[in-house]
Amino acid sequence: MAWRRISQLVIGLACVARAAAGLAADDCTQTGDDCVRVGGWNFSVGLGAGVRTNPLVHTQDIPLVIIPQVSYYGRRFFLDNLDLGVTLAEGESNTLSLIATPGYDRVFFYRSDLQNIFVNGVPFSAEVASSPHSTYNSQTGTLNAEFPSRPRHVTYLAGPEWTFDFRGISGQLDYVHEITAQDHGDEIRGALGIPLGQLWGTWSTNVGFTWKSSAIVNYYYGAPGIYAGGSAFDPFVKLGYVRPLGGKWKLTGFVEYERLGNAIANSPIVAQHHVTTAFLGASYVFRK
Amino acid sequence: MRRVLACISLSMIPPVNAAITTPEEPGIQLDISPKICTLGSSDKQCETTVHAQWHATHEESLCLVIVMRPDVKRCWEHYSEGTYTIELTFTDDLTFQLRDLSLERVLASEVLHVIREAIRYRHKRRQPWNIFS
Repeated sequence: MAWRRISQLVIGLACVARAAAGLAADDCTQTGDDCVRVGGWNFSVGLGAGVRTNPLVHTQDIPLVIIPQVSYYGRRFFLDNLDLGVTLAEGESNTLSLIATPGYDRVFFYRSDLQNIFVNGVPFSAEVASSPHSTYNSQTGTLNAEFPSRPRHVTYLAGPEWTFDFRGISGQLDYVHEITAQDHGDEIRGALGIPLGQLWGTWSTNVGFTWKSSAIVNYYYGAPGIYAGGSAFDPFVKLGYVRPLGGKWKLTGFVEYERLGNAIANSPIVAQHHVTTAFLGASYVFRK
Repeated sequence: MRRVLACISLSMIPPVNAAITTPEEPGIQLDISPKICTLGSSDKQCETTVHAQWHATHEESLCLVIVMRPDVKRCWEHYSEGTYTIELTFTDDLTFQLRDLSLERVLASEVLHVIREAIRYRHKRRQPWNIFS
């Protein structure tokens, strides 16, 4: 059923994107902030200091020290860190792709999750909290029964992605379904990137959300007979700053605040209603 | 007496360009190697050794020149064949010509083509959902 919905969405969006692509001339003639060379690898690494808070009980925040970034763009295929995709239609302002992207919530349970490694670049031997046994209920402030330990496997979600650019504002809307036979859940990811202007550098803000179906919420935060949540809506806002330092170096900083939906925040293994991520450092582009 | 005139100079030779339309001499053949220089995406210019070789059915007095490169000129008098090797740096097609000693008549010509790798660009993925974008 989910794949039927995805295929219907893809066909519909492909028509829209094809129409837009037909109207707009391709404005990419050289490598820049918005354009990239087809067939080339792009590497960059951020070195600095930062942290991502971990909302789970009895867990430590996740340090951000090294943030490697890698991407490859073929004519249709692309690799964007841990995301894979095929661009179905591309215009000057609209792009429709099919993407596969890892499930995000596992980062809080396993420090060794690739998304954490990609964030800080340091392989960790110890896991943060593969399955918290602590059962502090943040809502009631009481201790509950033992929370059963169980693994959360790496999951991938796939589906259509529509991105656009309108007067400098970039947008992204994904509808993805879990394809690795773990939770069979769905996510909708949407966000806008809004430039704020220049003040000793370039400032921008991102606002967006993630909607997670109950299947995903319960795969990570639920326990049979103890806690079952519904779907969750997680909005976020981010403030970003970039300043060229000369050569291929840039000063980069950002702060992001994500509020967890009630279905997640009410879980007995969740202690905080939010996740805050902050980083300040220098990034180096190896090839551009 | 046969005499080989070889000079690579900034001499005051008449400007050699493609405007001369005299038909080429059928009995003279010019060959160059390589015939193509391929530039990669990171290459700005070709730097290569070019080997030119000619032969004729009869003895000829002629000069080998490159169009728009007055610094290159090699001449032979009363020869039926000749070779010439030169290191060249260039960004566009080079036209090698055999001309008579007055440089007015084109006897044979060959083109060394420059082919640039076709570079395509596309939009990066817009990903405001990603905290690191």
